[in-house]
Amino acid sequence: MKRFRFIAMLGVIALVAAACGSGETTASTTGGETGTATTAADEVALSQGSGLTFYMATHSDDGVFWSVVKKGAEDAAAAVGADMVWSPSSNDPERQVQDIQAAIAAGADGIGVSLANPTAVAPAAAAAVAAGIPVVTLNSGVNDYQEIGAITHIGQTEIVAGNGAGLRFNTLGATKVLCAQQEQGNVGLEERCDGLAETFNGDVVTQFVGLDSSPDEQINTIAAQLAADPDIDAVLGVGPNVAVRAVEAGTQAGRDLFIGGFDISTDIIQEIEAGNVDFTVDQQQYLQGYLAIMFLYLNVTNQNTVGGGLPVLTGPGFVDGANVAEVKALVEAGTR
Amino acid sequence: MTAQTDTNTGQGETAEPDERLSYRGPIHRLLTRPEIGALIGTAGIWVFFWAVSDVFGTVAGTNNVLDVASVLGIMAIAVAMLMVGGEFDLSSGAMIGASGMLVVLLAKEAGEFGGAGFPLFVGIPITFAFAMGIGWANGSLVEKTALPSFIVTLGTFFVLKGAKLGFAKLFTDKVIVEGLDAAPDFEFWDNIFGAEWTRNNQIWDSFLGGRDLVYAVLLLLGGAAIVIGLMEQTFKRRDGLEPSGLTLALIGASGATAGIIALAATDGVGANWLWSIVLGIAIIVALIGFGRWRYEPAVRAEKSTTVQPTVMARNVGLGLGAIVLGVGAGLALDSESQTEVGFLLTVQGLRAVLFVGLAVTGLVLLILAARHAKQSPIVQAGITALAAVLLIVLAFIVQSEASSRKFRAEFFAWLLVAGLALLSVAILRLLFTERRHIDQSADRLGRRASIIGMALVGLGVVVRLLFTTSGEVVPGIVTYRISVFYFVTFAGVATWVLLRTQFGSWTFAVGGNKSAARQVGVPAARTKTILFMVVSGAAWLGGMLTAFRLNSVQANVGDGQEFLFIIAAVVGGTLLTGGYGSTVGAAIGALIMAMSFQGIPFSGWNSDWRFLFLGVILLLSVLVNNWVRKKAEGSS
Repeated sequence: MKRFRFIAMLGVIALVAAACGSGETTASTTGGETGTATTAADEVALSQGSGLTFYMATHSDDGVFWSVVKKGAEDAAAAVGADMVWSPSSNDPERQVQDIQAAIAAGADGIGVSLANPTAVAPAAAAAVAAGIPVVTLNSGVNDYQEIGAITHIGQTEIVAGNGAGLRFNTLGATKVLCAQQEQGNVGLEERCDGLAETFNGDVVTQFVGLDSSPDEQINTIAAQLAADPDIDAVLGVGPNVAVRAVEAGTQAGRDLFIGGFDISTDIIQEIEAGNVDFTVDQQQYLQGYLAIMFLYLNVTNQNTVGGGLPVLTGPGFVDGANVAEVKALVEAGTR
Repeated sequence: MTAQTDTNTGQGETAEPDERLSYRGPIHRLLTRPEIGALIGTAGIWVFFWAVSDVFGTVAGTNNVLDVASVLGIMAIAVAMLMVGGEFDLSSGAMIGASGMLVVLLAKEAGEFGGAGFPLFVGIPITFAFAMGIGWANGSLVEKTALPSFIVTLGTFFVLKGAKLGFAKLFTDKVIVEGLDAAPDFEFWDNIFGAEWTRNNQIWDSFLGGRDLVYAVLLLLGGAAIVIGLMEQTFKRRDGLEPSGLTLALIGASGATAGIIALAATDGVGANWLWSIVLGIAIIVALIGFGRWRYEPAVRAEKSTTVQPTVMARNVGLGLGAIVLGVGAGLALDSESQTEVGFLLTVQGLRAVLFVGLAVTGLVLLILAARHAKQSPIVQAGITALAAVLLIVLAFIVQSEASSRKFRAEFFAWLLVAGLALLSVAILRLLFTERRHIDQSADRLGRRASIIGMALVGLGVVVRLLFTTSGEVVPGIVTYRISVFYFVTFAGVATWVLLRTQFGSWTFAVGGNKSAARQVGVPAARTKTILFMVVSGAAWLGGMLTAFRLNSVQANVGDGQEFLFIIAAVVGGTLLTGGYGSTVGAAIGALIMAMSFQGIPFSGWNSDWRFLFLGVILLLSVLVNNWVRKKAEGSS
């Protein structure tokens, strides 16, 4: 007889799951789900272009930098009444390929892709284009967006941004720069260091110093590098966190350094205010999320193609002692 | 598996009066298997995402889930075997990237920042030997030093992680090595590790009547075999066959066949209803006839009627009340209102939750009431039948009230099938005697019929997934990767090895109690070393699949994934302490994780909650697993 009870239990579990499911269906309908476009509210929304779902399949780690891109994409989606699905792959190319394929399978109306690892990810993005889905690349991918047939690329040309940092260090009077990287396998970061080496008059040492998720490792690796090479008098962190870590590493090693960073975070703004960091190269990543959704939206609803076959540059801009106060207010609002 | 062997070799031959206590019915036996929790979890998550997302459960969505599950699953299966053997391998994730990177470096054209320029016929065996060497080194170090495998393989993990980055930078000056397709025999090996099956090109229209006919026939035959298998394991065989029963069964079966053909041929709503009712009645007639042909009719009235009327009546009352309330809530609340009433719920959502929650509670209470009435078969059957009828009524309410087409059509059909099944159970249990003792031949036949039935259903699903028809419209292009094939094959081979070979028994023995195993002559050291080599061999396969898919390997590929493999194995019922586990479970665990990963973007949820959700699912699976097993083992 007990068997009967187990049948009952099986049924309960299956049906409870179904219960949660239907509850969630309706809860997520508030976001404007496509399947149930029967209500009056939905019909109004439809006339405003709702019912569109854009996927953002990026190599995002949802850290300080990418959360601003995400905010830009969310704000743009809200502005046009579309849905945005954010699929971060934490720098795992296979995962990102699967995210893109999931977006194709889900019938996305447009996909934003970052090509941090173009050999691995570009074919999947090209498959999306072949399936008739408009694609823009953002953040990384300036060398490959044309080949995959993307509308345009939104981002900063990393070599140019690196060049800018090199010129800044020349003005500051540095002689040997440590180019500290916080990711392995990101072509964009490599190009920042290459760009630095192109314009900088002295020597450049490039080194991976640990992921942003392990700040202590970053501090210790930079400090060890400084101890090993007394000629280094400047550090370029190719991300905001790693530049802040360089400040701490400099204190730890007892060295007075010129420090430059890439991108913006609350911490690096404070360090610039305090005079510990000399500048940061700002690629205004809010635009990368916002414009990606806008360009896709305009392409779907109005057949617009932005850029005329050229990339849309969002940087480099510089934040230093001169403009840090204004930027700080915007950072606190989460849009810089 | 152990549970099953116990019952088979147990007190079957002796005729003690208490033997009925040791007999376990088919459902009970199923519930004591290690992978059952994961299986229930899979069903639950599948239903959940199916209800929430438009893509989940379609062919394209299924392909995406399988793609994510495949490499994860290959690794989880190998890791589960190692864990059954009592050890861990933390280098398994890094090993994927290491073998992938090695094969690219060997194949890449020579030159400055180039590779070795070997043909893949040389490079791939070298890579395999390298993987075997790492596995052997792991195993030998663990055995020689008697250090925990956690520490030893953590060391190997860092060695591999560092070597990947170091050699990549040294040889190519980049952290991504690429250029696998430059190898002269790339085409040949790409067919082995990078092959794809494009479903859109596989049109099956005319052969054997077309895909849909084959699919339907396989599902029906499979379903029939499963039902026969369950009946054979549940009821007591009669002494001689009763031919009139067979006649009745054949009449029912032909009626059902006619009903199905008529249903497929007609479109009108009225005709559909007529034939659905004919079909339902014919199925019940066929089941009764089959039972009459083979099984002992029920004998009753000799038991004293010690029904617990108060408990029973209370449950029936509460159950009916809950269902009425649920239906009332469903009808009273506005199905289209998007007004928020509280945390994450709109009026519409509240309505759905109240309706489903109360209806389920009501049905469960009714079934519990039926359980309490076990001394009186007629009352029991009556209450079960009442529950079945209510289920069918609820199906119609869902059909007329639900806002999404998915619920009106597919969910409605499944509710009808469930109602019919419950009704059949009530009738069959009333009419025939349940078996309370072991009957070797009936159990064997029943088990085989169930397995054949499940295989047929599985084959039907595979046919449906692999082929399309010219009339079918699937958005986008569905392309399966060969990794799915390796995943399924490896799951089969590993399960056979673990359950049917001497090596499998050794694995359970060394994981359960190593010194005891050694004393009875199990070569413990060799077994464990081979298990480590199986894991690094699986990682080699994973590395090949990744490298041939992406044509490049990034230095961090696989790092940190070793925990995902262990989690998938644990979700699948494998114990961290060793000696107990299942490779099928690990494969299912990988599916659960892949469904959770992909279900979230398919549902359009905010990815910020992804890991929270994943964590909750994993905890629930493990808890359900634990609970079901304890319940099943604790009762008889």
